[in-house]
Amino acid sequence: MTEHHFPSRRGLLAAAAVLAGTSALPLPALAADGPRKGGDVVFLIDSLGPTWIPNNSAISSFQGHIWGHVTDKLAYVDADGKVSPWLATRWEQNADATEFTLHLKEGVTFSDGTPLDAAAVVANLDIWHAGRIKEGINPIGLFPKTYDRAEAVDLRTVKVHFKAPTLGFIPTLGYHGSILISPKTLAKPASQQADLARTAGSGPYLVAAWKEGDFVKLVKRKDYKWGPEAVGHTGPAYLDSITYKVVTEPSLRVAAVQSGQADIAYNASPQELKPLKEAGFTVATPRYLGFVNGWAINTRLPPYNDVKVRQALQAGIDRQEIIDTVYTPDWKLATSFIQSNVPGATDHSALLSYDPAKAERLLDEAGWTRGRGGIRTKDGKPLTLTLYSNPYLATSKAVDELVAQQLGKLGWKVDIRAYDVVTFGQKVAFGGPAVPAYEVTRSFIDAGTVASILTSANNGENWFALGDSDPTLNDLRDRIAGAKSHEVRAPLLDELQRYVLEQGYYIPRTQIVQRIYVQSPGLKGETYNGIAYASYYTAIKGE
Amino acid sequence: MRPSHRMAAGQRNPDMRNPYLIYAAKRLLQAVAVILLAYLFTFVVVSILPGDPVTNVLRDPQNGFTEEQIQAIVAAQGLDQPIPVQLWTSLSHFLTGDFGLSMRSSRPVATLIAEVLPSTLILASAGLAVALVVAFAIAYGTQLVPTRFGGGALRALPSLFLSVPNFVIGLVLIHAFGFQLGLFRVIEPDSAWATAFAAIALGIPISAQIAEVLIANLDHEARQDYAAVARSRGLGQARLFARHLLKPSSLPVVTVIALTVGEVLGGSLITEAVFGRTGIGSLVQRSAAAQDLPVLQAVVALAALVFVLVNLVADLVYPLLDPRLTLVGPPRRRADTADDTAAADLRTVTG
Repeated sequence: MTEHHFPSRRGLLAAAAVLAGTSALPLPALAADGPRKGGDVVFLIDSLGPTWIPNNSAISSFQGHIWGHVTDKLAYVDADGKVSPWLATRWEQNADATEFTLHLKEGVTFSDGTPLDAAAVVANLDIWHAGRIKEGINPIGLFPKTYDRAEAVDLRTVKVHFKAPTLGFIPTLGYHGSILISPKTLAKPASQQADLARTAGSGPYLVAAWKEGDFVKLVKRKDYKWGPEAVGHTGPAYLDSITYKVVTEPSLRVAAVQSGQADIAYNASPQELKPLKEAGFTVATPRYLGFVNGWAINTRLPPYNDVKVRQALQAGIDRQEIIDTVYTPDWKLATSFIQSNVPGATDHSALLSYDPAKAERLLDEAGWTRGRGGIRTKDGKPLTLTLYSNPYLATSKAVDELVAQQLGKLGWKVDIRAYDVVTFGQKVAFGGPAVPAYEVTRSFIDAGTVASILTSANNGENWFALGDSDPTLNDLRDRIAGAKSHEVRAPLLDELQRYVLEQGYYIPRTQIVQRIYVQSPGLKGETYNGIAYASYYTAIKGE
Repeated sequence: MRPSHRMAAGQRNPDMRNPYLIYAAKRLLQAVAVILLAYLFTFVVVSILPGDPVTNVLRDPQNGFTEEQIQAIVAAQGLDQPIPVQLWTSLSHFLTGDFGLSMRSSRPVATLIAEVLPSTLILASAGLAVALVVAFAIAYGTQLVPTRFGGGALRALPSLFLSVPNFVIGLVLIHAFGFQLGLFRVIEPDSAWATAFAAIALGIPISAQIAEVLIANLDHEARQDYAAVARSRGLGQARLFARHLLKPSSLPVVTVIALTVGEVLGGSLITEAVFGRTGIGSLVQRSAAAQDLPVLQAVVALAALVFVLVNLVADLVYPLLDPRLTLVGPPRRRADTADDTAAADLRTVTG
């Protein structure tokens, strides 16, 4: 590391140049004389979200950054979806995947002194499942709804029962939402749980101060010694403090990092990344585990009830151009309808290659012929596609506009509607009467849960408006849900991906990056988990 | 809001206390009515918006709730009740001084407001101070500096200030003094320097209104006979300004200040956003985005209260600044207008 007595922007840039040159070397954290300790980090974020009631905020995008430092989880899910032990040191399941036994790490305490034992874990599982709705404490929506009950077998052992096979349970434990909170906090009413300063977790940092909508300051917990083995460090954190500070203006966040006033800017716009990288700043675009950004097609709405039209759509989108135009090379081409880092995702790139000739041929075969202005028509009706830009993804409309151009060349008439979040929520739904294509941005816990979302069975979301009408899809869904081991499930998942893409049920656009980090070059050693949250537990700060 | 007969009783009764009290009580009653109307108005406006704060969050597909779960949560929050029932529940709590819990954060509304109020009060008072200093400096300059040496340019300043939005001023200040000169850190908006620049951004457009009224009044006063007499006795322009012109000219300024309170509050909202300060403005912004009715109602009621109180204080302060009001028939004086002509007419009559 370089040493500067007067840290300045110039100093940082000089350090940037040096670090850029040494980035191929091992991280300083692994150096023989041990990592550099201490330091304070400022993280600029667009919002701190609505509430701090742990259950109501754990899966919200912004609060997750803080929860990741203040709380621990039973299992750790890394950026590749690999599940490893954390506060649960090991686990067993029965043959039906309906009963799981968790063995807990010893000596773990919450910051209020309460031991993190089996009873505490049961209290957490119960409130994740049911919440206390009457009191304003919601359940965790993504927690398996097949949960039956949990019991503390002894101080360190928890047995969890499900009403149906739930292979996704263990990955769920490493997901956002599954944050362990002291039973004393959980017993409090909602209005007190909403005060972040009163919430006790077991994580490597404590809340030192906070102001709603303004900042949260975390200081390290000195007696912490139960970090996840997977990140290569289990003792106390290196950095003394992390301050999450709200700066709503995106350019201001980046400018503050550029001028050395802060260390990390969250959610920079993709167009800004290239010059920042060139100036020596670290740019991280981790991908979460989930669906790629794309459309679920409404197969009930003509002309998309015709498989050839759907297949033409699949072949008529130049996905590389989306990355080149709207994004940067940090974004990845879709290889399936689930992100390529999800365990169980298989490579179906061949089905997603750009082939305008094929698309035109399919449209010709389907009876859509070129008419006036190049728009294809059939029985006097034009070939239209209405796109509703997803309000949860800032770049959605830009991608829509590009795709509209691409499809326009093939004879499509594309309309783009951009609604705000509320209107979108009310007017746009999977398989809605005027919604030929629903744009998906969604993470999930386990690829096994995917199939059951797609049809209408068991409260499924019926993404393609197929109901129960496609026997192939139904069969895959039932066999995947009933799979009791990953070995049985993997080929079924592969088959599901191939079938859904071939049928043009799901039209992927690109793999999705929802969290973008711009970081000053002096900060190193952070990790990203399966939900693309940055953790600075292992990070160190040079000058 | 401003009764034209406001001080009539005061003239018939040599003891000013009772009429003052009656007057103050009347105005307070009006204030209560205004606040309640503001409260109702907020309720209606927010209620007719599509969606509600709870389902807006729950329906984000990312959260994975089933429809049954959403319905149970909506029912538990009382959001499935008819609007009149919801209004009655909220109003009855409000009247007992219970502002309830924020629907967004579940924290007590009173706590949320108490957290952010100091920041806004500091910014608003600093902004007002800047506005007054700038306005008086410009007005003073117009009287001292001859037109051909820049006095004309000074007179153009208020129009310029009025036409530049305060967020533009804010961004320019942040860029120049925050990033380029490094006087303050953008991420510490509550530091003294940052507060000073935020106050400048807020104060400049407001100073324009005060300056315009002040300049017009100074010009008017400077044309009066007594000013000519003073000048003929050899009184310098500076002393004339300070001793004779300033006090009568600043009388309408009190009214203008009272009227700009709304703008100070509104301007704070924008200035807070630009400078990243967490005050009432940012609370309103977050709450409005989330349709957080209890917080919005409380803040609107508070703003109405402040507005009404400031105007009340301005009315009560008037007689203190102009003793003639207590001697000669003030009932007709300035009454319901805020401009300088009313005050000027009065002085012409009484002086």
